[in-house]
Amino acid sequence: MSDYGSDDFMLDDSEEGFEYSDSDGDGNGEGPLAEGGSATGTQPSQAQHTQTQTQGEYSADAAFDDDDDDYFMDDSGFEPVLSRRNQRKPWEVDFKVYAQDGLSAKQDAMVSRLEPLLALSKETTTLLLRCYFWKEEPLLEGLLTDREGTLAKVGLPEHPPSPRIETGNDAFVCEICYCGGGDERYLTLWCGHRFCSDCYRTYIASKAQEGESWRIRCAAPKCKTLVGLEPARLVLAGDAAALARYEENLTRSFVNDLDTFAWCPAPNCEYAIECQVPRSAWATTIPTVRCQCGKAFCFGCKLDDHTPAPCYLVDWWAQKCHDDSETSNWIKANTKECIKCKSTIEKNGGCNHMTCRDCRHEFCWVCMGPWSEHGQSYYSCNRFDEDSSKNARDSVSKSRAMLERYLHYFTRYNNHEQSARLARRLLAATEKNMEQIQREHTLSWIEVQFLSEAVDVLSMCRSTLKWSYVLGYYMLSDNQKIIFEDNQSDLEMATEQLNELVENPISEDGPSIEEFKRIVIDKTTYVRTRWETILADIIAGLQENRWQFEAE
Amino acid sequence: MALKRINKELKDLERDPPSSCSAGPVGEDYFHWQATIMGPDESPYHGGVYFLAIHFPTDYPFKPPKINFTTKIYHPNINSNGSICLDILKDQWSPALTISKVLLSICSLLTDPNPDDPLVPEIAHIYKTDPSRYNGTAREWNRKYATWF
Repeated sequence: MSDYGSDDFMLDDSEEGFEYSDSDGDGNGEGPLAEGGSATGTQPSQAQHTQTQTQGEYSADAAFDDDDDDYFMDDSGFEPVLSRRNQRKPWEVDFKVYAQDGLSAKQDAMVSRLEPLLALSKETTTLLLRCYFWKEEPLLEGLLTDREGTLAKVGLPEHPPSPRIETGNDAFVCEICYCGGGDERYLTLWCGHRFCSDCYRTYIASKAQEGESWRIRCAAPKCKTLVGLEPARLVLAGDAAALARYEENLTRSFVNDLDTFAWCPAPNCEYAIECQVPRSAWATTIPTVRCQCGKAFCFGCKLDDHTPAPCYLVDWWAQKCHDDSETSNWIKANTKECIKCKSTIEKNGGCNHMTCRDCRHEFCWVCMGPWSEHGQSYYSCNRFDEDSSKNARDSVSKSRAMLERYLHYFTRYNNHEQSARLARRLLAATEKNMEQIQREHTLSWIEVQFLSEAVDVLSMCRSTLKWSYVLGYYMLSDNQKIIFEDNQSDLEMATEQLNELVENPISEDGPSIEEFKRIVIDKTTYVRTRWETILADIIAGLQENRWQFEAE
Repeated sequence: MALKRINKELKDLERDPPSSCSAGPVGEDYFHWQATIMGPDESPYHGGVYFLAIHFPTDYPFKPPKINFTTKIYHPNINSNGSICLDILKDQWSPALTISKVLLSICSLLTDPNPDDPLVPEIAHIYKTDPSRYNGTAREWNRKYATWF
């Protein structure tokens, strides 16, 4: 069972979404058995396809699908290797991708699970669950202690009758449009308020346009009764666009109301992700998830994958890089202020006798004292050791040192970011290379895959290295940091070597294709191993509190 | 729909005018009304006549009408632009509400300000801590801006 949170939101409905643990380490989220998984033919549709599953501390027992177990445990003799490859790595978290229909199924499943337990109608159960943000425990508690009061919250009886649009009441007058009479079609809610169905349709459609759904209340003034899903669907039946909007809002509110669900932040992506890592664990676990659309992002801060830096360091770093603090540091380190008019002056050559361009004040650049006091000892300031000038120089050199430290980490961070961008271009070039090698050496497509695999590993390492510099920037210097930096430089060196190998592959006088392939595969394996080592170590360090981080 | 409903409300107002308020279109444009409220007896606004501008949205009554005072008034829930902070004009609006009901709500807001949800915090503060000063200023403004005879 899960170590985190309650059992309420277990990943127990594996048929509703894609379940992942990107454990094959290639970073593209497709396990080595992705094709094999679908080939078992146990999944009814593509949207319900269950991908590589692992059981980790965040997942439930039920996350194991029997059919997949059978697949792993078959008698082919591959079982030990496969299961080891599919074990969740320490830096990976379990998550599940949901398409729209998967989300609806998930909601329905949660409702139908609770419905018999509460002995309430489906409609009432649904609305209660939504009122309680889908948290079953407080809802059950509320119902046990105060059934009436809890039900009053939604203003629904235990078993509301199915809503009907009625007609034939001569005394009926709709208080919205003032139409009435026996021909008027009207809807009566549980609270007794009745309005004509046309007005209700316009009312609910206009609320749906504003993004509302189940929170829409009865149209009567001050009436707290929720309209309910069934009546809303009934009156919207004639307006397909509004009904679609209403249903979309329902799903939207489901994903927004649950802490364990989030939308994929990629533009136009309609998938939602479920991840059970609780907020409290985000400082030591980086909840990186990968959407079906290919977008890898942090479930915590919704930014692009920033393994192995935890969210709060990423936040510090982003602020550091965005605000002008470094500009002002640069100004502090490289300029001085005119004592008299406070203009900022950068000395770009010449002697120490400065004349401010603005106020014509003459002073000595070295001691900042007025030039007149220097008498005739031009070009050699004899007041150098005075306390005031010493202090001024100390603060300048301190801020210069801080700037240099920041620049050290920033250049490396930035360098890996740019290289990662270049790696994308490299991928295109590699594909061309692969075709060329295939042609020239009459190799099959599968035999040249080693190149694209190398590029995959490269871009993974680039991202990890990039964020490892953010870790390094905030990490306090101690023995642990030295070990960290050793690991980092090891990976960095190996990454650069692999990059070089892949960038200029085959030449006439170089090694044979077999030799080249062996070198690349060797290097790729080495880099991958280094990468896994450093990631595992960083995550272990975070969880053991081995690293000390300090904000500035 | 909107125009039909506005017409109906206008007829109802003419047939059965509420005490202390009146309302009607300014000109040919039925979506733009003017309303008056007599300052309630038991309030510092007693004796004043307050004018309000009413704009109906095209999707009225499914969206609330826009109402604001055009007469200056000293009140915790009404600011210097004449904007009114009233729940039924915002998220508590119901399509079954009418202009006549809204005007009556505004009347009772004049009698009983809601200092816990103020639009002008300074006035709300004075209303809560020094009621006689609030009454004095409100009466003063009432005499200055809302009394016509």
